Amino acid sequence: MVAVVSVAAALWLRLKMDPWLAGQPNFIMFTLPIMLSAYAGGLWPGLLATALSGLAVGCYVPALAGQTFATWWQEGFLMLAGVIISGLSESLHRTRRRAGEGQELFARSFRLSPDCVTLTRLRDRMILEANDGLCALWQARREEVVGQPAGRFIVWADEAERSRFLQRLHAQGECLNHEAKLRIRDGRELDFNLSSRLITFGNETCALSVMRDITGHKRAEIATARLAAIVDSSSDAIVGKDLAGIVTSWNSGAEQLFGYRADEMVGQSILRLIPDERQAEETQIMDSIRHNRTVRPFETVRRCKDGSTVEVSVTVSPIRDAAGRVVGASKVARDITERRRAEQQIRQLNAELEQRVRLRTEELEAANRELEAFSYSISHDLRAPLRAVDGFSQAVMEDFGPQLPADGRRQLDVIQESARRMGCLIDDLLAFSRLSRQPLEKQPVDMARLVRSVLEDFAGECATRQVEVSLGELPPCAGDHRLLRQVMVNLISNALKYSRKRTQPTLAIGCQTATHPPVYYVRDNGSGFDMRYADKLFGVFQRLHRAEDYEGTGVGLAIVQRIVNRHGGRIWAESAPDAGATFYFTLQRSDAS
Amino acid sequence: MIPAEPLELLLVEDNPEDLELTLRALRKAKIANQIQVARDGAEALDFVFCEGAYAGRRPDFPKVILLDLKLPKVDGLEVLQRLKGDPRTRTIPVVMLTSSKEQSDLVKSYELGVNSYIVKPVNFEQFAAAVQELGFYWLLLNQISAPSPLP
Repeated sequence: MVAVVSVAAALWLRLKMDPWLAGQPNFIMFTLPIMLSAYAGGLWPGLLATALSGLAVGCYVPALAGQTFATWWQEGFLMLAGVIISGLSESLHRTRRRAGEGQELFARSFRLSPDCVTLTRLRDRMILEANDGLCALWQARREEVVGQPAGRFIVWADEAERSRFLQRLHAQGECLNHEAKLRIRDGRELDFNLSSRLITFGNETCALSVMRDITGHKRAEIATARLAAIVDSSSDAIVGKDLAGIVTSWNSGAEQLFGYRADEMVGQSILRLIPDERQAEETQIMDSIRHNRTVRPFETVRRCKDGSTVEVSVTVSPIRDAAGRVVGASKVARDITERRRAEQQIRQLNAELEQRVRLRTEELEAANRELEAFSYSISHDLRAPLRAVDGFSQAVMEDFGPQLPADGRRQLDVIQESARRMGCLIDDLLAFSRLSRQPLEKQPVDMARLVRSVLEDFAGECATRQVEVSLGELPPCAGDHRLLRQVMVNLISNALKYSRKRTQPTLAIGCQTATHPPVYYVRDNGSGFDMRYADKLFGVFQRLHRAEDYEGTGVGLAIVQRIVNRHGGRIWAESAPDAGATFYFTLQRSDAS
Repeated sequence: MIPAEPLELLLVEDNPEDLELTLRALRKAKIANQIQVARDGAEALDFVFCEGAYAGRRPDFPKVILLDLKLPKVDGLEVLQRLKGDPRTRTIPVVMLTSSKEQSDLVKSYELGVNSYIVKPVNFEQFAAAVQELGFYWLLLNQISAPSPLP
């Protein structure tokens, strides 16, 4: 288009100017459209303009001017010049086009690179250009960055390292893949991979730098190294295998457990470890793994390098790739030989213990039987001679009484009284020993009713002696009804006995419910006792009073204490001589103790 | 000794003192005149069933048997079992007269069919009273079906 128009214009101009140019060479005027066309369009428009110009010069101009010879060499010169101009223009065009493409490619990759790319003037560290990656990391717009000194956005954590980097950059013109810690604008210190190269840009020495944030990568590397260290230091065997059962990793635990080195096992089939009769196990395991199921810990036997077998507990879990596909399995095996041995030992110790308990129980049962036989024999055999002592004293008294002096009769009385007293002692002792042998039959007990029923048994004595009885609150409890009745009978009869010398005897029975467990009590205003001897109060045959003052065998309170203790409770007393006594007891274990 | 009068009471007692005191109490109460004494369980059984040393005796049964529990040779419980297990002697009242207060003895005795269980008191007066009362009850008051005579 340019070629046709410009040639036409040149022709027209030449024709117009002909009056002034007559006789002058005709072709000069046509070099202009050729150059113009070639410059604008390159080779082909240039050639077209050359051809048109040739036609114009060859056909019209000579016809106009009537010239012949001169036209031919002019014609030839124009054609040659036109072809050369077109060729040169074409080559210029191509060079320019290539340069433009290269520039665009550069600009695109500069902009689009996910890495941070900057062009910095070395003289004042002024940022001349920055890409999107950099702006994103620095959280700034490009306009805020370009034209600013780089130091406003990024600082080397280690200034000495920066000097070394720059020295190398100056010395070698470039410094590639340098790892450094840099502090960015928000204060974070990140790991970067840094590459710089010196270039000349606009007559200035600049550094073109590419920085890659490798903080996450570094962290992952550290984490991986740590995990690897954990796996490697584990005393458990940790083995990786692919779905075909080929070993892919083998830690030192596995080396120790199975005896194979990693280089002996990696790439080999895991079946090497499995005894012949258990090969089916592996098929089942891999089946579970393919279905993405972890194989719960199970105990089995594996074969070691030296042919020996080892008892192991094995857990196998699927290994998935990033897309979640199962690509293999990790297997953790633990040597349980030691545990087995310990278990065996525990079993053996348990068996021994049980055997000892059995023996001890048998001994106890034998002792119990002996005790039973003993008390039976006391009950039966010890009383017979006493009966003889008492009976024959009576016989003497009856048959020969009148012939005896008064003193003799009194002495016979003492013999009889002693025999009867011993009979009582034996009876009480038997009752006491029977308490330990009887099973405790616990049931809900209405203590208020129980105490009223006991008091009825003593109603006669209370009425005669005008005892003032006061009953407090008596909450129900759990216990053996018969034995608790025995406790109340003994405590109440004691209270009545020791307040016998009072003209106004009082008896108070109640319970302190503010505490837990509740504390039952029986109080009298009798002769009391000295607290110094309180520890002797509950001992068998222990008495704090003279027999001629208060009769008794000294077993009653021992029986009470035995019953209370068997209920899990506690009994104690408070008193002072001649100031009455209070007996307290509980029937369950206190929570505190 | 073959008593002319019908036998009233068989006393089985191994302890000589207890025996003397029991006889004294019975005599004092004037309850039984015809009393036979056996000193152990074997002798008691021989006497009742007219065996051994008593093979030739006139076959009749005592009206009541006072039986100690702990006896040489054959003990009281076994004697009781034999007496109550035999249709001929099952109806003879048997009174356990013993020192044992053991619950197990008492239960076993009643299970074997004892008619009374008396624990001998140490106090002789009480003991004498007990013996008199039980003799009075079993020999005089209680009406029993007459045991069939031995063949």
